Amino acid sequence: MNKYLLSKKIVINELSTFYSFLIGLSIGIGIGSIILLTQGQNPIEVFSLMLRLSVGSVKSISTSLNKAIPLILAGLGISIINSVKLWNIGAEGQIFMGGIALNFLYINTEISSPNLMIVYLLITSFIGGAVCILFPAIAKVLFGVNEIITTLLFNYIIIGLTIYLVNGPWKDPGSLNFPAATYVGKEVYLPTVFGRLSYGFIICFLCTIGVHYLKEKSVFGYELRISGGSALTAIYAGINAKQKAFIAMLIGGGLAGLAGGVELLSQTHRVSTGLSQGFGYTAIIVAAITGMRPFGIFLVGSLFGALTIGGSVIQTMGVSSYIADVIQATTLFGALIAQFFFTYKIIKVSEDV
Amino acid sequence: MFDIQLMGLLNATLQAATLLFIAALGELITEKSGILNLGVEGMISIGAVTGFITAVNTGNIFLSVLVGILSASLFSSLHAFVTIILKQDQTVSGLILTILGLSLSALMGKQYVGKKLPVKIESLGNIDEPTNIIEVFISQNYIFYLSIFLMISTAYLLKKTMFGRRLEAVGEDSRAADSMGLNVNKTQFIATCVGGGLSGLAGVYLTLSYVPYWTDNMTSGRGWIALALVIFGGWKPYRTAIGALLFGFLEALVPRLQTYGFELSPYLVKITPYAITIIILVVLTIYKGGRTGAPSNIGIPFFRESR
Repeated sequence: MNKYLLSKKIVINELSTFYSFLIGLSIGIGIGSIILLTQGQNPIEVFSLMLRLSVGSVKSISTSLNKAIPLILAGLGISIINSVKLWNIGAEGQIFMGGIALNFLYINTEISSPNLMIVYLLITSFIGGAVCILFPAIAKVLFGVNEIITTLLFNYIIIGLTIYLVNGPWKDPGSLNFPAATYVGKEVYLPTVFGRLSYGFIICFLCTIGVHYLKEKSVFGYELRISGGSALTAIYAGINAKQKAFIAMLIGGGLAGLAGGVELLSQTHRVSTGLSQGFGYTAIIVAAITGMRPFGIFLVGSLFGALTIGGSVIQTMGVSSYIADVIQATTLFGALIAQFFFTYKIIKVSEDV
Repeated sequence: MFDIQLMGLLNATLQAATLLFIAALGELITEKSGILNLGVEGMISIGAVTGFITAVNTGNIFLSVLVGILSASLFSSLHAFVTIILKQDQTVSGLILTILGLSLSALMGKQYVGKKLPVKIESLGNIDEPTNIIEVFISQNYIFYLSIFLMISTAYLLKKTMFGRRLEAVGEDSRAADSMGLNVNKTQFIATCVGGGLSGLAGVYLTLSYVPYWTDNMTSGRGWIALALVIFGGWKPYRTAIGALLFGFLEALVPRLQTYGFELSPYLVKITPYAITIIILVVLTIYKGGRTGAPSNIGIPFFRESR
């Protein structure tokens, strides 16, 4: 009788995550096409329109990249936390908290210099995100409470807080149909680089380089990897693994908060339940699918931004925007399945001895 | 008059709790085997939409319930395949399952938004405004009774039967279970599909009884609450049921607060169950020295050759 066993490949292709993503994308487009056909649409027509409206012009490219900013920033945060083998499912809440903290500072301070104010506001949003993960981080390092669950639950608390604020204390009397806080002033809007692309993208790129350096080149990143790898090794090396995990969690939460701050100052310009449209959850997937590599997150995050924009514009053709979600999800499943074949080999073992 | 209001609150509590409990029970069984499935929200949606479509087209309740359960179970086998057979990350796969389930169900149910149901799930007695506790219980439909049966039978199954012991062995220490000759992959696969099926049942309850109509994203976070409930309940069916009643009570209470003349913000009341769950989780972890009842192997893929 033959049995099949799995064995991890010793040498894994460096570009395997990229190839898996491409394989996944073709599976996603394939399944998307089938669904479009069942809905009586011409897939080629729909996809070429999606392509044109998401990356076809300077205006559309910049819109797509704007959408990618929160995904990339939050994804980078998740990748830092994951280097100590912890998960942050709470990026969604941290994005909102970043926006809330920013708005709190904005309405409570006098503006003397708008440019300096923008810097202060963004720093505040970072702190807001870090505060949001503070409790799960303390609970994790002191008592070992499962961080997946606490960070997840905090999403609901923070979104609940957002709904409370925009319906109560911060409610904009002018916004009747959609409860939201009052807009921030035009002087603190993030300026644009070209087209509609906001300066957030520059911040995003700098953060990518920073996180890459932090994770791959710095002593701190090395200590994070050891802390996440083996508790005993960390002790032998004299590394305080809990402290490292705690700092990593705060930085990761802060980056998600910064994503919320950038999104508020460049896109929504106010706190509302629309500040994040599931960016926090998508960011987890973006980070995971790229194997937590910062530049991978940057690249795949940008592609996802384009896919999201493409998905929202095909609605004008009478195509449900949910098709873009289905394509996204099947792409990711396809990439996971493809990843399997890059990381494992199947060995046939004979059991007759 | 006061009685009718109070009984109305109790009625709404039981209905909300039933939905949450069934989904949580499914996740509990899945997690017992060491598999974390964050896709509950997506699975409920799939069960909800397929059950609703079947009900509108055939008018057969039994068939609709069956279709809802089976399709959600089939859908969850995707998670089982990716995480158990292909050993990919459970957190990621579960999140993708949520996105896929929500979007796929929205596409499937597009033509059914606003459609009326030709049938409803029967209950023991038809009482519109129950005035005492007995009447409230009688007016619940069959899925409510089914959920009580499921609670008792799952508790029995987990503690007293070979299936339960196997499930626990696999979830606690899959290597030891494997060396004892248990088929780890098979056990986990079955547990994941059973969990998916129960989520599907919760979905059917949502569209055929609790709401009852179909619209996009109508699960509105209940799948995530179900996940929290499993932790609240310490991976035990009866305690999970208590948690479901608490969450159900708050869900029922929030829209009624204002009619009772309370000045509390309903938005803040809504977040209390989450805060309570976090506190309970922390207290349990400290009190039991890190043992919250969570299966030790949860989230960790099992490799046969890494023995």
